[in-house]
Amino acid sequence: MSILLEVSGLGKNYYKQRGITRKKVTALNNVSFRLHSGKTLAIVGETGSGKSTLAKLLVGIEKPDSGIIKLSGEQVDISNYKKYNHVIRFIFQDAGRSLNPLQKVGQMLEDVLRFSTILDAEQRRVKIRKTLKQLGLLDEHAEYYPHMFSGGQLQRVALARALILDPKLLILDEALTALDPSLRAQIVNLLLELQQQDGLAYLLITNNLQLVRHISDEMLVLYQGQAADSGLTAEVFANPQHDYTKKLINSAL
Amino acid sequence: MLLLDIKNLTIELETPDGLIRAVDRVSLSLREGETRGLVGESGSGKSLVAKAIVGVLNRRWRITADRFSWMGQDMLQVSAEQRRKIIGRDIAMIYQEPSRSLDPTALVGEQLEEAIPTSLLDGYWWQKPFLRKKKAIALLHKVGIRDHQNIMQSYPYQLSEGICQKVMIAMAIAKNPKLLIADEPTTALESTTQAQLFRLLASFNQLKGMAILLISHELESVARYTQNLSVLYCGQLVESGDTTAILKHPFHPYTHALIKSVPEFQPDLLPKSPLYALPGSIPTLQHLPIGCRLGPRCPNARKECVKTPNLERLQNHYYSCHFPLLKRDES
Ligand SMILES: Nc1ncnc2c1ncn2[C@@H]1O[C@H](COP(=O)(O)OP(=O)(O)OP(=O)(O)O)[C@@H](O)[C@H]1O
Ligand SMILES: Nc1ncnc2c1ncn2[C@@H]1O[C@H](COP(=O)(O)OP(=O)(O)OP(=O)(O)O)[C@@H](O)[C@H]1O
Ligand code: SF4
Ligand SMILES: [Mg+2]
Ligand SMILES: [Mg+2]
Repeated sequence: MSILLEVSGLGKNYYKQRGITRKKVTALNNVSFRLHSGKTLAIVGETGSGKSTLAKLLVGIEKPDSGIIKLSGEQVDISNYKKYNHVIRFIFQDAGRSLNPLQKVGQMLEDVLRFSTILDAEQRRVKIRKTLKQLGLLDEHAEYYPHMFSGGQLQRVALARALILDPKLLILDEALTALDPSLRAQIVNLLLELQQQDGLAYLLITNNLQLVRHISDEMLVLYQGQAADSGLTAEVFANPQHDYTKKLINSAL
Repeated sequence: MLLLDIKNLTIELETPDGLIRAVDRVSLSLREGETRGLVGESGSGKSLVAKAIVGVLNRRWRITADRFSWMGQDMLQVSAEQRRKIIGRDIAMIYQEPSRSLDPTALVGEQLEEAIPTSLLDGYWWQKPFLRKKKAIALLHKVGIRDHQNIMQSYPYQLSEGICQKVMIAMAIAKNPKLLIADEPTTALESTTQAQLFRLLASFNQLKGMAILLISHELESVARYTQNLSVLYCGQLVESGDTTAILKHPFHPYTHALIKSVPEFQPDLLPKSPLYALPGSIPTLQHLPIGCRLGPRCPNARKECVKTPNLERLQNHYYSCHFPLLKRDES
C-alpha cells in the first residue's frame, strides 16, 4: 500500500488577546505520522489536546506554524484549498453549523458536484440518489432544509456531502458520536466497505475507544499537543507507554 | 414524590403539506431523585420531547398532552408566563447543539455568572458580584476546569468542544435544578473525563436529589448511570422500564437490535468485521408505514403487524409489540 499522507513536525500556536498582552497557546507541537491508503488512523486524546486543530490544519482551515504535509509523496500547501478539496474531505462534530440553512440538501449536493466534477445533469442526479441511499437517507430528504433534520440525520447529510466526491481521505472529527448505535453500525459498515472497495483512508478523531479498536489500524494519542503514543492499534492497547494512555485505556476496560 | 408526570404527549408541526406528527402519545414520568435514560433512533423525537418539556419549541409546533404536571401542579392549566417561570426555576437543560446553550458573542465567564440565580447568593447586595464570581469559579472547578481564569476570559470559539461541554454542564447545575435534562451532554469528552462528569452528576443526584433525564446514544453510560429507561422509535414509545432489565432482556425488536449493534456488548467481534444493523432507515414523518412503525425493518414482522400495537405491560416493564421477545432466544 502506498503512503497517502505524511506529516512531519507539524506545529500550531494560537494567540489570545488578554488586555494588552497576547497569550500564546500551543495547540500542536511537533507532530508526525504517516497514513497509507486503505487504512484508518485513529486520533485520541483528552479535550484540548489539539485533535481538531490537527484536522483543521490538514484541510486548510488553519495554517500551520511549522511542519510539512505531503500528499502521495508530494509536499503540498493545503491552504490552496480548491486544489485538494476533493481528495481530502472532512466532517466536523457540529455538522449542522457547516451547512447552509437556506439551501435544500439536494441542491447543496448538486452544487458540490457542479463545482468539483464534470458530470452532466443526469449523471449528477444519479450520483446524488446513490449517495443519499448509501447513507440511509431517502430520495425525499433531498427536498429538506437542514433545520428539518435531527442531530444524527444532519451528520448523515454531512457524510453524504463528503463522500459524494469520492475522496481518497476522509477526516471524521467526532462525526459518528451524534449517531444512534444502530445507525452508527450502518455507517461503520459502509465506511469499512468503501475502504475495502475503493481503498479510502480515514483519519478518525473520536473518544469512543471501542470504535477505535474496532475500525482503526493505527492510532496516535495526543497529549497537550504532542504525540504521547503511536503505533498499531492492537499494540498500543496491549502495551501503552505514556501514563496518559495507560489511564485512558484502563478507563475503557 | 412524582416530579414530572406526562401522559400521551403529542408534538405536531404545521407544514405547507399539512400537519405532521413527530411525537405520538409518549408518556414519561420522573420521581424525585430518579435517573432515567431516553434512547432511540436518530430522529425519533428525543430532543423534541426534551424541548417540549422546557418549553422552547417555537409556535409552529403544536403540543398536546392528556396530562402534564410538575410537582403535582397541572402545567396545562397555568398561564404560559407562569409555566415558564416555574420551569425556568426548577428545570435545567443541556442542549445537544452547543450553540443553543452558549452565546458565541459573550465571554464564557459572563455567561456562567449570569446563569447563577441571585437567590442562591447569600450576603449583602454589595457582596453579590464578588460572591457570584466566587461561585462561578467553584462551578468550573467542580466540572474539572482548573484553569478558570483563562477560560472565563475566553469566547466559546476559542475553546475546544470538550471544554465548552464542561462549561455548559457548569451552567446547568448553577441553579441547583430539581430536574436536569441532559441531551448528549458528554459526546465531546474522552472516557476518563466522561466518567468524572457523570460521577459529578450522580453526586448531585444523591446529595441534592436532583433528578436526571439523560438523552444519549452511549448505551454504556445509560446502563451505568440510569435506573430507568425509555426507548423511542419514530416518535413513539416502544419500551420502558428498569434499565438493567431492559438491557439484559429487551422485549421489543427495536431495542434488541439497538443493543446488538453496540460493539461493547459483542465482545467476540473481530476488528473490521461488519456490525449488526437493522436494514433500511427510519421513515420520514410524511410517509409513515401503516400499523407498527418498525414493520418494514423488523426481522420478526408478521401480518398482524399492520395493526398498531398497544402499549402492554408486564409488571413494570412496558412494551408495544405484537410479538415481544419474551422467550430468550440466542439468535
Ligand atoms: N481559535 C482559537 N483561538 C485560541 N485558542 C484556540 C482556538 N482554537 C483552539 N484553541 C485552543 O487550542 C487548544 C486545542 O484545541 P482543539 O480544539 O484542537 O482540541 P481538541 O483536542 O479537538 O479538543 P476536544 O476533544 O475538546 O474537541 C485548546 O487549548 C483550545 O483552547
Ligand atoms: N422543521 C421541521 N420540519 C420537518 N421535520 C422536522 C422539523 N424539525 C424536526 N423535524 C423532525 O422531527 C424528528 C425528531 O427530531 P429530534 O431532533 O427530536 O430527533 P432526536 O431523537 O433528538 O434525534 P438525534 O438522536 O439525531 O438527536 C426528526 O425526524 C426530524 O426530521
Ligand atoms: S409489532 Fe410486529 S413489526 Fe412491530 S416490532 Fe413487533 S414484531 Fe416487529
Ligand atoms: Mg475537537
Ligand atoms: Mg436530538
